[in-house]
Amino acid sequence: MTQRGEVEHLNDIVAKYPEVPQLIILKTDVQRRGVFYTDSALSVLDEKKHSITGTHIFGTRDGKIAPRPESLLLRDGTSIITTPTAIEDNPYVVDLLYGQPYLFDGGEPIEEVDYWPAPAFYGKLTRSGIPMQKIVSARPQRLVINPHRYCTFWNNSNGCTFCDIVAQIKKGKKDLQIQVRPKADEIAEIVAEALNEPGRYSAVFLTSGSVINGTEPFDEEIDIYIEVFQELGKLFRTKKFPSQIIGTAYSEAQLERLYRQTGLMSYTADIEVLNEDLFNIHCPGKAEWIGYKEWKRRLVNAVDIFGRGFVNTGLVAGIELTTPHGFKTEDEALSRTLEEAEDLASQGVSTVYIVWSPRPDTVIGNQKNASLDYYIRLAKGLHELRVTYKLPIMFDDYRHCGNHPDTDLSRLLPF
Amino acid sequence: MPLTLQPIIRLLLDDTGTTRIVATTSEDGSPYAVISPFLHLNHDGFFVHLELLETSITNRNLLRNLWFDRKAAINLTGKDGRSVLVKGVPVKAIISGPIFSEYYTKVRQAFGDADLSTVWLIKPVEIVNETYAERKIEEETQYPFSVHLDRLVNRKKSTQKKDRP
Repeated sequence: MTQRGEVEHLNDIVAKYPEVPQLIILKTDVQRRGVFYTDSALSVLDEKKHSITGTHIFGTRDGKIAPRPESLLLRDGTSIITTPTAIEDNPYVVDLLYGQPYLFDGGEPIEEVDYWPAPAFYGKLTRSGIPMQKIVSARPQRLVINPHRYCTFWNNSNGCTFCDIVAQIKKGKKDLQIQVRPKADEIAEIVAEALNEPGRYSAVFLTSGSVINGTEPFDEEIDIYIEVFQELGKLFRTKKFPSQIIGTAYSEAQLERLYRQTGLMSYTADIEVLNEDLFNIHCPGKAEWIGYKEWKRRLVNAVDIFGRGFVNTGLVAGIELTTPHGFKTEDEALSRTLEEAEDLASQGVSTVYIVWSPRPDTVIGNQKNASLDYYIRLAKGLHELRVTYKLPIMFDDYRHCGNHPDTDLSRLLPF
Repeated sequence: MPLTLQPIIRLLLDDTGTTRIVATTSEDGSPYAVISPFLHLNHDGFFVHLELLETSITNRNLLRNLWFDRKAAINLTGKDGRSVLVKGVPVKAIISGPIFSEYYTKVRQAFGDADLSTVWLIKPVEIVNETYAERKIEEETQYPFSVHLDRLVNRKKSTQKKDRP
């Protein structure tokens, strides 16, 4: 069995899983190992044409803030959302091949990539003179808004062990002049400008850190989303518009309020790891304020409000194997994770994962993520659950997010 | 000479009256064919197919073909009966950026309130001449046993016999 962190040959995994597209295996491995951009690769980076790092809510693996491609696109339209990684850590290398950015491994060219295209609104200023990309960013088909870049779980040091949102905002405020809480009307001003670009966006996405304040905990977090959504709603002729939030797990009353008062169409509350003991260890703030069983119950309740195929939860896949508390083998981790994911799927909640990228300003940033074999088996397993339970996942697919190898596989779902 | 520089391809694509069809197969081999009204060649010699619907069977089949290196088929048939079939491999799905925006605008200019899912680039790997008049000559020359005998009957002679009192 492959051990965690061991370097595997991509071709061996491709041969082992012929039913999984090679491009998705490659994407997963690039996310697992990270990328290093050569000077040549960076020489063709053009802020007028390409999205350049700038407004990340989370940090980079090499701990640096520098102008680099925001992320990469593969030939099938799939994104590789990855993070610059120090060359000493054996990442894939992005270099040029006949002028085209290309992924290299061990000096061998593997696959062509494109840098994400720059949105037309990048470089423009808001009426108050703020560069628009400091407030709203973009993926290839999605507008990304972070209305509150602070997580109050960190107030008593109960932030998640894999998260560097607070460390990043401290860096970002200093180096990038990123605001913790931009104004709702200024966000809407930027989105209005963005929508002038034909065919560029098919969803609006909002995510923030958790905000415990309010009459009921998290009321203030919901207020922030509602305020922004109501401003955005003025831009559309339909009451509901393609949109997603990744928020905390809210009570039924809060979800009802959020759904009724906004144009929001889908809802994600990331449970991060599908095991109660590990949840308590890795997400102490979520455990303190909501609890594991209640988090899952709230996810299931959200299906009644948003509908099947419009609610999911995310995993930071790989943290379940970290020492000293994690599962001892990948087989056990896979089996236990999929068992709980199936319980959620049977009740209408999809589970998606991101490849955990250990980052320096996090509690477990010095550990390694899982093997490629594990990540491919996990992607297959989560995708197969969607097949079994006929759960669509378009709101969080390659086009609307691009960060989940399992939902890449679901592009072929016939529903 | 690159396959797509063959004059007949250009001639057919330049004619707005040409019927353009993209045919694909599903995972189990089921065939599927659709009209592709915007089908054309780009500057690099790739066919450009504009897929308007994200969940269409053609879109999924093209993605499967790209992922697993399988071929699709393109048929071009002109009003005068000239016809070619091109086998090709989908090599790129463009969903964002200036090329996508350009086609998105074209689609909407042509169809009004339409959408665009994917700009597919299909690399041609084989061209088959399907023009009936030319294929007929080829067939009858190379495969004489494919011809029905009634077509070879000397009608003039038999008619003369019939006319005798």
